[in-house]
Amino acid sequence: MTTYTLSVFTTNTIGLLNRITIIFTRRRLNIESLNVCETERKGVSRFTIVIRHESREAVEKLVRQIRKVVDVLAVFGYLDHEIVFNEIALFKLATPLGGSPLNIKEINLDWNAKVVHWGLDYVVIEKNGTETEIAEFYQYMKNWEILEYLKSGRVAVGKTEKGLVEYLPEHEWEIV
Amino acid sequence: MENSQTMTVEEKKAEPAKFLTGAQAIMQCLVENNVKTIFGYPGGAIMPTYDALYDYQDRIKHILVRHEQGAGHAAQGFARMTGRAGVAMVTSGPGATNLMTPIADALLDSTPMVCLVGQVKANLLGTDAFQECDIIGMSMPVTKWNYQITDPNEIPEAMAKAFYIAESGRPGPVLLDITRTAQADLMTIPFEYKPCTEIVSYRPRLTPKQEQVEAAAKLINSAQKPYIFAGHGIIIANAQQEFDDFVRKTDIPVATTLLGMSALPSDHPNYIGWLGMHGNYGANVLTDEADLIIAIGMRFDDRVTGDLSKFIKQAKVVHIDIDPAEINKNVFADAPVIGDAKQVLKALLPLVKERKHETWKAEFKKYDEAEFEKITKRDVFHDGDKIRMGEAVTMLSNKTKGEAVTVTDVGQHQMVTNRYYQYNTWNSLVTSGGAGTMGFALPAAFGAKVGAPDREVIAIIGDGGFQMTLQELGTIAQSGLPVKIIILNNNFLGMVRQWQQLFFEKRYSFVELQNPDFITIAKGFGIAGHTVSDRANLSDSLDILLASDKPYLLEIVCEKEENVFPMVPAGASVSAIRLE
Repeated sequence: MTTYTLSVFTTNTIGLLNRITIIFTRRRLNIESLNVCETERKGVSRFTIVIRHESREAVEKLVRQIRKVVDVLAVFGYLDHEIVFNEIALFKLATPLGGSPLNIKEINLDWNAKVVHWGLDYVVIEKNGTETEIAEFYQYMKNWEILEYLKSGRVAVGKTEKGLVEYLPEHEWEIV
Repeated sequence: MENSQTMTVEEKKAEPAKFLTGAQAIMQCLVENNVKTIFGYPGGAIMPTYDALYDYQDRIKHILVRHEQGAGHAAQGFARMTGRAGVAMVTSGPGATNLMTPIADALLDSTPMVCLVGQVKANLLGTDAFQECDIIGMSMPVTKWNYQITDPNEIPEAMAKAFYIAESGRPGPVLLDITRTAQADLMTIPFEYKPCTEIVSYRPRLTPKQEQVEAAAKLINSAQKPYIFAGHGIIIANAQQEFDDFVRKTDIPVATTLLGMSALPSDHPNYIGWLGMHGNYGANVLTDEADLIIAIGMRFDDRVTGDLSKFIKQAKVVHIDIDPAEINKNVFADAPVIGDAKQVLKALLPLVKERKHETWKAEFKKYDEAEFEKITKRDVFHDGDKIRMGEAVTMLSNKTKGEAVTVTDVGQHQMVTNRYYQYNTWNSLVTSGGAGTMGFALPAAFGAKVGAPDREVIAIIGDGGFQMTLQELGTIAQSGLPVKIIILNNNFLGMVRQWQQLFFEKRYSFVELQNPDFITIAKGFGIAGHTVSDRANLSDSLDILLASDKPYLLEIVCEKEENVFPMVPAGASVSAIRLE
């Protein structure tokens, strides 16, 4: 199984998320993660979709089917080494009186994570990184009682000098 | 205009020239789009638009069908004849869900269609209101594009986009879900209709890239046994002349797909038949001999390829298609050419060499003889008592000189029609290919007749499929259009019965029908007709049908357990084609 990251640029239209995800459903493909956000171009949304698949050919077919959707501007499929990518994880840890104390220095310096919220008897820690880095940090966090854990979908940019502007000419797309 | 938001409805009505209601805007858009005919069925959520239509009857002809599915298939038949989007207008909820089958059918067969669907008032959306249904969600997988309109000001642009998307590139169905609010409310800006000619996220490539054309030409020029698969794309692109020129110059044998039929006249020296499950013997078997396949406007459907792992493995492939998603989808293309078939053929013509392929073409002839001996003789030139479907279609083909538009349903009669009707006129077959929708033919034939009133349109339907949409006899009778209807009646769901016989040990599971008296039914609708079961009377019966200047139903009682051959068993390699 290889991990593929698809960057899908679309016009910002209601229902488009549905129209894109049914392309996966119909082919029995499981979406590992999905992120949708606005871009530096007004009215253009960016979907970052992560899937795992054995066949590059099948992924290429999928890309062409997504490109076929009328409101889709462009689709790019990437392997991990072709992109810079990250996720955000949040951990809500119990910090009861008498519990084992957090080593903030270790969390900051060794794990490159930080406490973003102090509650009365809990803290929220944010960790940015790849799936692997977050998974390793999760193991470390298990030293405390994890009340809640969640992470975002992957966001990724291609390791090319090209920007969005090259396939979405500026005169048509106002820069935000 | 600056006061428009605060004006009362009465005040707005006082200046009708300035502001249209959404419903009037819909009508005006249809007029500006040169739409003369729409097919529809009214109901609650579309009533404001029907009210506006009342004032537009002199410019837009509305045909009242008997079921929304009929509106959809009629719009498809109309589109297939005219190349323009067929328009179907229905209400929300069940009206819209009844349109789903034609929409799915139109998507698979690349048929342009604009569906105007009513929706509950905007403030009721998501409340499970009466006749509310999430039709945007439901139609998403089967439309090329869909859009919900809640503001009347959006109507002109949405309508323009709908027609542009439906008709351009690879055509397909488009659905507009229009809330009652958007229909009933007044626009707050003056109506202005600008045809859509470009969408930034949708730019179908019509003119091919020169390097792709050159790569294709190189393969074509060096091939020893090239073979053309001609698809529906040639007809959609209206590339009759370009295709004829290309075939004449290269002298390459041509087989069509089901929907590509009539792209080349059947008496053309290069026409060698049709491909696929019930296609011709030579046309299928010799796919294994070709060294180059030139696929034009076709998508290598599984009914054409059989077992993909054994299909044209020895050949190189030139794949010409307007839809990039078709390239390498089922069959790898050595030389893909993205573009409109007409433009691509035009670009290819000067680059291909004039050749002769007499020996290669002759190979197909040998198979034709075997097929004639084993199949055609039995189907057409037999000495049995009962009428066989093949002889009925052959006789019809001869009497109409292969010039009629045949509209077929789905099943044995469909395959037999494609097999025995000798198409000699461009764009003469309307059938449900990709979806295989039973019940398609009767409403589609009606729509085809509306689209091509000067052509003889003959619906050929099985007794099973006829009963799925027979209420459209009412639509046909009311219009008075002389649609000719043939029921090939074998009292069976024949194709399923054939499969049960061949692949399920003749365990006939719910395929025999107790049929009504079709002629009495037709008469009830005010349509004349008669039944023929005697071979001796078949010719005269067809003459009566063809001579009628009104709609006419001819029921032909056929041999009960006739099988359609040749046949490639599902999932088998095309070379495993069976003649008996």
